[in-house]
Amino acid sequence: MKKSIQWKALLTLAVLIGAIFIAYPYNQDKIKLGLDLKGGIHLVLQVITDDAINMETDQEIARLQELFKKQDITFTSIDKVRPGQFAVHGTVADQEGKTRDLAAQYSGDWSYSFVGDRITFSLKPPAASALRDQAVSQTVETIRNRVDLFGVAEPLIQRQGGERIVVELPGIEDPEHVKDLIKVTAVLEWKLVKAGPASDEETLLRDSGGVVPDGMEVLKGDPKRGQAGFYLVSKVAAVTGKDLRMVRRSVDEWNNPAVAFSLNSDGARRFERVTGDNIGKALAIVLDQKIQSAPTINARISDSGIIQGRFTIEEADDLVIILKAGALPSGIKYLEERTIGPSLGADSIRQGFLAGLIAIMAVMTFMLVYYKLSGLNAVIALIFNVVILFGALAYFKATLTLPGIAGIILSIGMSVDANVLIFERIKEERGLGKTIPNSIAQGFSRAFTAIFDSNLTTIISAIFLFQFGTGPIKGYAVTLIIGLVSNVFTAVFVSRLIFDVTVRKTAKSLSI
Amino acid sequence: MRLFKTPNIKFLKYKYVALAVTAAIVLAGALNIFFGNGLKPGVDFGGGTLVRVMFKDPIPVDRVRQILREVDLGDSVIQESGRKNQEYLIRTQQVIRNADEQQQLEAHEQLGDRVIQALSGESGRAETARGLVDLNRLDENGLVALLETSFPDKGREAARNIIKVRTDNGIIGDFSLLRNAGIPPEIMTFLSEKTFLGNLTVLSRETVGPQVGKDLRNKAAQATIWALIGMLIYIAFRFKMAYGVAAIFTLTQDVLITVSIYSFTGREINLPIIAALLTIVGYSINDTIVIFDRVRENSRLMRKEPMEEIMNVSINQTLERTLITSGTVFLTLLALYLFGGEVINDFAFIMLIGTIEGIYSTVYLSCPVVLAWQKVFKTQKGFRK
Repeated sequence: MKKSIQWKALLTLAVLIGAIFIAYPYNQDKIKLGLDLKGGIHLVLQVITDDAINMETDQEIARLQELFKKQDITFTSIDKVRPGQFAVHGTVADQEGKTRDLAAQYSGDWSYSFVGDRITFSLKPPAASALRDQAVSQTVETIRNRVDLFGVAEPLIQRQGGERIVVELPGIEDPEHVKDLIKVTAVLEWKLVKAGPASDEETLLRDSGGVVPDGMEVLKGDPKRGQAGFYLVSKVAAVTGKDLRMVRRSVDEWNNPAVAFSLNSDGARRFERVTGDNIGKALAIVLDQKIQSAPTINARISDSGIIQGRFTIEEADDLVIILKAGALPSGIKYLEERTIGPSLGADSIRQGFLAGLIAIMAVMTFMLVYYKLSGLNAVIALIFNVVILFGALAYFKATLTLPGIAGIILSIGMSVDANVLIFERIKEERGLGKTIPNSIAQGFSRAFTAIFDSNLTTIISAIFLFQFGTGPIKGYAVTLIIGLVSNVFTAVFVSRLIFDVTVRKTAKSLSI
Repeated sequence: MRLFKTPNIKFLKYKYVALAVTAAIVLAGALNIFFGNGLKPGVDFGGGTLVRVMFKDPIPVDRVRQILREVDLGDSVIQESGRKNQEYLIRTQQVIRNADEQQQLEAHEQLGDRVIQALSGESGRAETARGLVDLNRLDENGLVALLETSFPDKGREAARNIIKVRTDNGIIGDFSLLRNAGIPPEIMTFLSEKTFLGNLTVLSRETVGPQVGKDLRNKAAQATIWALIGMLIYIAFRFKMAYGVAAIFTLTQDVLITVSIYSFTGREINLPIIAALLTIVGYSINDTIVIFDRVRENSRLMRKEPMEEIMNVSINQTLERTLITSGTVFLTLLALYLFGGEVINDFAFIMLIGTIEGIYSTVYLSCPVVLAWQKVFKTQKGFRK
């Protein structure tokens, strides 16, 4: 036997064994099922990064105010122009030198400009985009923590483009619950209550002359926690969620579900001071600007306590999760949500498998009837093809989706394309009166350019599909590309090899 | 075996007829798309909510429509799918204006809720009020939590088995289904006390906000255009500019004709349909390339013959191959169309149209365009550069 044939045989065998070795025995880790086949929730959400910029702006305003006070620079007011920009009005002219020095020294991430008695501070674009970027990656982290604590197997939490995040949770079917769990900002604060609860704002503010006193704010009770009415609370929190050391589900003195917490040493010191100084007053527990409960301080508390609020067990568990996972740096909004139940996916797999089987049978039968023994050659190549396809899917750890199954079935139909081209060419060459081995050689070499060009153009369109497609469509593009590449390989290598091995040099007839 | 002897049909003679046929189909399609029923964007592109439900007991489609009409959702698209009279796809059609992204999405979600609530009707209301849970709606985590509190040792396994029964059947019609699946009697007793079987289960639910819908439209358009450009470049590089242009012309009319015909079927356009169109493009060009490849070869062998004759011979020589390969793809698509299930049905359908149409465009239209281009731009005819 010729050396080149031996090499081909060896290569073919290596690829085949390799593919079987990688794909067999099949398990879930090798070829993952997409959400459309397994069932679960797919969410696309957008991080409102303006929130992060806003927060940064507020912090800078506060910092600058302090600095001005320290340096005895007078001004009338500071306004936020928009997120990332604020203006100081009414600076006095004879202090300009001092103000300029301060601004220059202060700059950092902010640029400033003087116009008359107004200084405008703007967040520098690179700093702003860094902040936005950070907000998104922090959100990804926080959501991941929450989902992990919630206990989802193999979740996917991925940043998509600039400010979007894709969350995929297999096996979960209750989107509302999960959405709420992901969406809550979860800023927890303890604030001293000055007045309330009152049925409306007017009643609440009657004692303070109808206006909100300095350093105070009006917050509403959370109806879900059985809190109605308005409270007047101090703006500055005594302690916040950042001071938490530990949280867990617990029960209150009436055996209702509650959340127990303990504070770190720094938080505990502050908590001790605040509770010690305000015995008899109420301390509101505020989650995302809504009052959960406002218990009266009975004694000095140092480092631990419980949060009550007529929780169900599930609600208490959720609160524990979001407190443990931390707060979101900015708000998020949902752009897309898809929930697929497991039975729909199971149906799709069953039907896809059936359709695939019937497709293979139909194509094989056709090839055997039409090309007889040479058809057997094509059938063997087809089987190789399917094996290689699954091997490659397992190797690339591809995710199989429903359109992906369609891609596999389609590439089965296309896989004989190359064989047909070659066989038709061999027939033509035979018709011209060439010998059989010669016809085979000519058939393969003449058909090759057409096979190569035609498969490559289909691959080109599949690549763009992969590039611009999402989830399931990507899965389709992947199976199609792999299928087409292995088509070319089997047609050119495997089929040729089978002819070379089975057809003798002196053969007088060819079953084709 | 052969389908026929190499024929000698003067395909290029019919180029004006073919152009007229194409123009007629595309015109009819365009009229239908712009003035008639139009293309129906599915939930991927149109935004909105798509709910797929399965009922415990069969319910006729008229009844479903009537129920939805009673809650002012009579304009929803209702489509029977899968199991007859039991599985339905419902897409709400209400347009929500003057709202930001998030509110629109929430409004669509609420429409979905309303559909499910209306279809559930009175079923389960009394049970829910008594604190029972619907076993047809509970997910695995929820069921595990429910069973593990009372059966710490075997709750998890039982929950898994119950979900498996539900997954296999789509919906649990009767508790006997579970009993037969070997769920222990004490758990069955617990289930009949604490749970009930609601009249429907939600198989899937999809809501796409306007922003994402717009993005997906953009991406689909970009993918199509870039794929066409990619092919133009490749073919112009491998053959000649005229051939690249001809290929793109053929492909563009492939897309137009396929979409035109599809528009008359009332089926929706979703992402898989775009994938199908791109595949049709990628596949139809196979045939075109095979013919061009043969023209390239023949123009070396038949130097004396006019280009038109060379092309005709090439089309005839490759005709059997064109029919057979398209035939095998057609066979597999037919299998997918008939047995592949509802979710993939539109995809298989449009691919079937495209495959047949691809043969026609390749055979009748690809070569005349090459000649026309070469005539207009007076480039040297044939293949020799």
